[in-house]
Amino acid sequence: MPILPVEAYTSREWFDREQERIFSRTWACAGLAEDVAEPGQHVSVQAGLNNIFVVMGRDRRLRAFHNICRHRGTQLLRAVGKTQRAIVCPYHDWTYDLEGRLISVPDRERQFPGVDLDCVSLKKASVDLWRGMLWVHPDENAGSIMDWFGEVEPHLGPHEVDELAEYPKGRTEHTIKANWKIVVENYIDGYHLAHLHSGTLGMYDHSRIESGFVGPHFAFWEPLAPDYAENVEKNSPYPLVIPAEHAGAWVPMLFPGIGLAETESTWSLFHVNPISPDRTRVVIRTRVATASSWAFARQAARSRRFWTRRVSGKFEGHGDDPMASGDFMAEDIYACEQQQRSLRSPYFEHGPSSVGEAGVREHQELVRRWVEG
Amino acid sequence: MDGTFHRLRVAATRAETERATSLVFEVPEGLRETFRWKAGQHVTLRFHLGGEEVRRPYSVSDKPEGGRLRVTVKRYRGGLVSNHVNDRVAAGDVVEVMPPFGGFHLDPDPRARRTYYFFGAGSGITPLFAMIGSVLASEPYSAARLAYGNVDAGSVIFLEDLARMEEGSDGRLRVRHVLSSASRASSPAPWRRGRIDAECVADFINEHPPYAQDTRYYVCGPGGMNTAVRRALLDIDVPDTRIRMEGYGPVEPPDDSVAGVAAEATVRLGGATLTVPVAAGQTVLAATRAADETPPYSCESGVCGACRARLRRGRIHLRARMALTDADISRGAILTCQAIPITPRVTVEYD
Ligand SMILES: Cc1cc2nc3c(=O)[nH]c(=O)nc-3n(C[C@H](O)[C@H](O)[C@H](O)COP(=O)(O)OP(=O)(O)OC[C@H]3O[C@@H](n4cnc5c(N)ncnc54)[C@H](O)[C@@H]3O)c2cc1C
Ligand code: FES
Ligand code: FES
Ligand SMILES: [Fe+2]
Repeated sequence: MPILPVEAYTSREWFDREQERIFSRTWACAGLAEDVAEPGQHVSVQAGLNNIFVVMGRDRRLRAFHNICRHRGTQLLRAVGKTQRAIVCPYHDWTYDLEGRLISVPDRERQFPGVDLDCVSLKKASVDLWRGMLWVHPDENAGSIMDWFGEVEPHLGPHEVDELAEYPKGRTEHTIKANWKIVVENYIDGYHLAHLHSGTLGMYDHSRIESGFVGPHFAFWEPLAPDYAENVEKNSPYPLVIPAEHAGAWVPMLFPGIGLAETESTWSLFHVNPISPDRTRVVIRTRVATASSWAFARQAARSRRFWTRRVSGKFEGHGDDPMASGDFMAEDIYACEQQQRSLRSPYFEHGPSSVGEAGVREHQELVRRWVEG
Repeated sequence: MDGTFHRLRVAATRAETERATSLVFEVPEGLRETFRWKAGQHVTLRFHLGGEEVRRPYSVSDKPEGGRLRVTVKRYRGGLVSNHVNDRVAAGDVVEVMPPFGGFHLDPDPRARRTYYFFGAGSGITPLFAMIGSVLASEPYSAARLAYGNVDAGSVIFLEDLARMEEGSDGRLRVRHVLSSASRASSPAPWRRGRIDAECVADFINEHPPYAQDTRYYVCGPGGMNTAVRRALLDIDVPDTRIRMEGYGPVEPPDDSVAGVAAEATVRLGGATLTVPVAAGQTVLAATRAADETPPYSCESGVCGACRARLRRGRIHLRARMALTDADISRGAILTCQAIPITPRVTVEYD
């Protein structure tokens, strides 16, 4: 029996309910810590129905507010930027300080005679830094972020995320023609790794996967394939980010839709953003070791032989065929989009689900509980 | 608060520096509850020196989690009690100790994820040391950053303890020494020379930005430092509600601009009501003690809050009010050690 009906992947109603009941009520990733690294810098993020901005004060503490002017609701700050010690609404120039207090209203005495504006403040949200990422929660009293991530944290990699540096070329965005849950389910499906990615992810040993849900989050670990592990210092494509003896891949999917890929040589965020029932944007950002470009070039040269022998497309074909690309992301996108398309066929029917897909079933169950709850 | 003194045996003493000594007290089983403390609180020691009763507050300098009831007393030049403790008190002696209290405390929450900034100087480290220990022991997700001012490396109380705690903290504790004496070479080299002033505070925070965004600031040092740190924090937009301070002595000279009048004070103390005469300019505390009563008090300088009471009738002038916030005062709180009646009848009720 399928846990979620087909409409869960295709209908606007389901989409809206998920936005309201899941994405508006959980900790949302607002980017990497370095996106707001200086006093005055800010970013805003759409988390379900809420638009929240994060700004750093001169005390280097982050503050988060709902991005809504308390006058007529205009959005205060655009996506990214730098502000001074105050936030000015573009509509009527109401001005707030970095504690969210309304500090100036143009022509106040004449325009608002007898109106008490002293206690007007922006609505606060919660914000924290965790694992090198910015997190926001729409509820000012959300409590400790460790209430949400504390249990899963021991199942994540030994990476010192704060000490790694973003690799700007590793930042990619993909618009996938599939429901966000298909993208997530693909991420946590351990069964497909040895098959869809037979030519691209063979450096990990899929027969030794350890995975499962820890609370609402899916934890996943697998070791390196023996021939890669044997000489990982030489064969790693980039300088290692963790000690060789710990090498492996931790690929958790944090709820809702925040995937991490923490490997021996890279650390990546795989942020799944629902756009519409059949559109999802995935933003990928990658950190690597803090090392000189010379060290990277040297490592690439040393490992080249290993990788040319190791990576190939699933099918023979031309460069524009994702299944011949030798790129596992292209393979995943292909599989997700094909599934979404089939959901519209009147002949579509769910088939039996494997042991390796247990996580997929549990994720569906989790979504069902949140949407009904 | 419980204003009674208990006779506790000194289990051990330890010289912390050339000018500071710790006393560890033995707390008998039956008094464990009474002497339970929160990190940052202080006890009051009472001595009879030269035929006079003297009391002084001292912060408990060990964490409540498995720590022992300990105070660390630094000599003040010409100071009566601090030198007595350093020169005379030995293991096996019995000292009169009033149970811990005080509003300057840190209550760890095991789920919380915070960044604590501590600013301390000299003997002001004592409550902060207990707080740091408590954070490390009870708040696994939180981090502590300490800026610690001293004259030179030789006068740093808990130098080795702090180094050991930092080392074993997996990055959760960072200790930064600020030494004011320019001359002497010291090892290890301090993070910075000079005093904990506005520039130092700003640099400290810039170099150690919050790891978790729920930040708290605890300040304990000589009056001048507390004021400077507070101002520096407010200046970079730290909300006042996140700052906690304790001073060890009055910051400003007492406000003696109001003379006071002779009055009759009705004092409600421990269930009893008594009437005591107060001479013009005398404090309510002094008048109550003169009537052979035993009201609670400790520092007698308006710093510690031990003598706190509520004004029920009449008006008084407060010569000093360090231990009270504006909100406390608006709710009628007074410090009896600083309260001089300015109406002929006052009624005061101890908490
Ligand atoms: C809440 C609180 C917690 C405290 N915790 C600690 C602690 O943990 N460790 C610690 O070491 N201290 C602590 N103190 C300070 C402590 O209570 C005493 O104030 C300190 O030990 C000095 O006491 P004393 O009797 O030695 O000095 P006092 O004799 O009271 O003298 C105090 C100061 O006045 C000066 N002085 C004395 N007589 C005169 C005079 N005639 N003319 C001019 N100046 C004079 C002295 O030189 C000295 O600087 C704390 C204080 C408070 C309020
Ligand atoms: S809507 Fe912002 S000032 Fe009017
Ligand atoms: S006795 Fe300390 S404030 Fe009055
Ligand atoms: Fe995949």
